[in-house]
Amino acid sequence: MATQDKLIQVKDLKKYYKGGAIKALDGVTIDINKGDVMAVIGPSGSGKSTFLRSLNLLEEPTGGSIIFNGVDLTKKKYRDARGKSVKLDVDGLRQKMGMVFQHFNLFPHMTILENMVLAPVKVKGMSRAEAEKKALELLDRVGLKDRADAYPIQLSGGQKQRVAIVRALAMEPEVMLFDEPTSALDPEMVGEVLDVMKELADEGMTMVVVTHEMGFAKEVGNRVLFMADGRLMEHGTPQDIFDHPQNPRLKDFLAKVL
Amino acid sequence: MDHLINWSNFSKIVPYADLFKQGLVVTVLLSLFTVVIGFCIALVLALMRMSNIRPFRFLGYDKDGHQRESGALAVISRFNPVSFLATAYVEILRSTPVVVQLLIIYFGIFGVIELPSFQIFGFIKFNRFFPGVVALGMNSGAYLCEIIRAGIQSIDGGQTEAARSLGLSQMQNLRYIVLPQALKNILPAIANEFVVIIKESAITYTIGVQDIMSSVNAVKGATFIIIEPLLVATVIYFCLCFPTSKLIAYFERRMRHGDTR
Repeated sequence: MATQDKLIQVKDLKKYYKGGAIKALDGVTIDINKGDVMAVIGPSGSGKSTFLRSLNLLEEPTGGSIIFNGVDLTKKKYRDARGKSVKLDVDGLRQKMGMVFQHFNLFPHMTILENMVLAPVKVKGMSRAEAEKKALELLDRVGLKDRADAYPIQLSGGQKQRVAIVRALAMEPEVMLFDEPTSALDPEMVGEVLDVMKELADEGMTMVVVTHEMGFAKEVGNRVLFMADGRLMEHGTPQDIFDHPQNPRLKDFLAKVL
Repeated sequence: MDHLINWSNFSKIVPYADLFKQGLVVTVLLSLFTVVIGFCIALVLALMRMSNIRPFRFLGYDKDGHQRESGALAVISRFNPVSFLATAYVEILRSTPVVVQLLIIYFGIFGVIELPSFQIFGFIKFNRFFPGVVALGMNSGAYLCEIIRAGIQSIDGGQTEAARSLGLSQMQNLRYIVLPQALKNILPAIANEFVVIIKESAITYTIGVQDIMSSVNAVKGATFIIIEPLLVATVIYFCLCFPTSKLIAYFERRMRHGDTR
């Protein structure tokens, strides 16, 4: 499934708070290839979420580089091929990276359909009719077409998260970032969300998933990253990580969660 | 012995009933215009205070183009003159008496700018009314700014993160996501400010706006009766403010109800 086509190259990524007193990310280097389904695991406070949020600049990195589409996202200004100084188009880059949050973050004052069409219409300039047609197709895929006119508050957690996923997909991103997408769900709703994500992975979507669902990491992921103390401690295939862990921190972590 | 209230005095001020009616109209109009102007000023101020305009931003980048974390250059690079101006405005207007502001605007600004002297409805003197609205509007703008700012800040940061991750710009996020939610939350607070303005507008009689309070003065000047017209004014103000705040409380409860399923 995974080709060696590099989509995002992360080099020595650092995120410090309070002038270096707190090192949320302390030099993470990893390539994300097209079609990768990368599960990021680790104890809480290990920097998993900070890593994910740095990828689309919800956190501004302190150091290192993130190269996406040939552009270093950590630099506000860069020189293009002709040597001209160009300002980094953060909004444009974010469109290409869909993000799904732990707490769904649907817009409560809009219906599900309005949630879905807002960005395609206002950001991509799609016509409203076209955007609605596409939104309904996406909602149909996750079995929520009949709830298009409902408000987020009328939906269950699992339904909200499924909407959040297709809302991000409506922008046709090149990569999907998931920040603990099932952590805020009631146990019986975790499955329905993971099913949608699995389907997405099967279609070849590049995904980076911060998760506590070891089963998902094992079955759906083709690569697993283990982070602790802001560092990438170990990475490899699910078999490498779960069956032959090397790092003592990873062994310790797996003993606790499995 | 003199009594506090002399009932026969009320009959002496009956001929001035029209004056109170006109005063009532002036007070209500004054308050309405003030809250509208105040809201517009406040919205601009709140956006200024929360803006991210940093003209010296370039000083904050090191030679690799990374953001500096500390040092004098990093501090200068974060300076936002727009936000500074708005903050200064709010703090000055909130820390000085409204009567002082009113008189400065009336004698200062509108002493220089000549206003046309015509009358609205035949009894509202524009060249008194307008400075009153401007002064009260500027003052309540400072207070409403803080209400709007609190309303915006009460919106969960996840909303902004979701909007930005979908590619919406900062302005689009504000317009489509944050402000619609924030305004709904602060409507009761804005309505309460309206009640405050009704009461505060009494101060404008000092520049000759013919509101309820100035009717009291007019009656006093003509009849030398003071307590009874003051009591009439009290009743009118109470009848304006008390039902209004009860009405706001009612809608506040209903709106909270709409937030649940």
